[in-house]
Amino acid sequence: MGNRPMNELNIEATQSTPSVSADWDSGVMHIAGDSFPENSFEFFAGVIDWIERYLASSGRPLHLDLRLMYMNTSSVKAMMDIFDLLEDAHRDGRAVEVIWHHDPANERVADLAGEFREDCTFPFGIEKDGV
Amino acid sequence: MASEHTIPRTREEADLHERVRALLDDPAQRANPMREALAELLDRSEEQRSRLEKLVRISDGYHNVSRTQNIDLIREYDRQIMRLEKLARISDRYQSQLIALNDELKTLTLRDPLTGVGNRRFMADRLREESERANRRGVTYSLAILDIDHFKTVNDRFGHDVGDAVLCRVVDTVRSCLRDYDVFARWGGEEFIIALPDTVLEVAAAVCERVRREIEVLNVSCDTVTVAVTASFGLTEHAPGENPSETINRADVALRRAKDAGRNRIVRTEIS
Repeated sequence: MGNRPMNELNIEATQSTPSVSADWDSGVMHIAGDSFPENSFEFFAGVIDWIERYLASSGRPLHLDLRLMYMNTSSVKAMMDIFDLLEDAHRDGRAVEVIWHHDPANERVADLAGEFREDCTFPFGIEKDGV
Repeated sequence: MASEHTIPRTREEADLHERVRALLDDPAQRANPMREALAELLDRSEEQRSRLEKLVRISDGYHNVSRTQNIDLIREYDRQIMRLEKLARISDRYQSQLIALNDELKTLTLRDPLTGVGNRRFMADRLREESERANRRGVTYSLAILDIDHFKTVNDRFGHDVGDAVLCRVVDTVRSCLRDYDVFARWGGEEFIIALPDTVLEVAAAVCERVRREIEVLNVSCDTVTVAVTASFGLTEHAPGENPSETINRADVALRRAKDAGRNRIVRTEIS
């Protein structure tokens, strides 16, 4: 309980980075917005670290809730790494789930989410917002 | 186990081994002075043989390990290649989305949303290009400013919907009279610019006259009213070395004269 603040992750969105909020107790992480940081590795290191620690420290489910619009190449790479982590956890029998939300007016985002979903065997939903 | 023979004995070797063994076991040879030396030699030979077998076994083991590692590496390499391909595929799609969005934005910033023709910014860009081209290659272009006569009255009397309909119909009419490479845009309000590349004033005047007549006979129907309009034209030709605003200013002066002279006409300014 003492290191609770380390388990909180709240990053405000900027022009080039998405907002990230993660709740340790419920096992839910939200990532929303555009992602084209100058240093994607640095930005996503904290996100990946949180997921790794969460998956290692308990057996509870992880729910990843995404509302990502534009991503640069290194951000795409980081998301693929995250999905690999989830895939490994899923193969170890862990309950993990991704829901990728998108604007009904932007079907292209859904297509891209579909590309990400390829070769993922864990539950991965692509949902239109407000429908 | 060491007893496993990784190197099988040949028949000759086995026969020789048997013969030596038989001689050593033969009681008649017990007193033979060579017997002890032969026994020792046989032991040495067996020892060497088992050392060699051990060496081959270990060596084979290493070989197997490296072969397995190789297969793992190839598998990992293939996996990374697949990841990279996926990354490139997704990234390419994001990129083409941006390009499409960019085109869309460009259209939005360069088009007049009402009539669909180019806007002032579009025309300013094209005139700059056209002037540079004319100055560089020693060619010319003519430029006309077209202004719909009494347009404000149309708006005031019949409302903006009718005014908008007039603008759209005039645009269609002008376009139908122009060649593909002529440049036409809404300059602002009820004012339009027509740029005619590689066209001398005389030819441009004929084109404008055709446009003027087409507009004159136009009847725009909208909301139960039918409106007829006319247009005035200020026409000039690009002078060698001048920039677009100088050309535009000269056309504008000509347009004022057309208005002052009673509208529905073309006034041209020769290059002084």
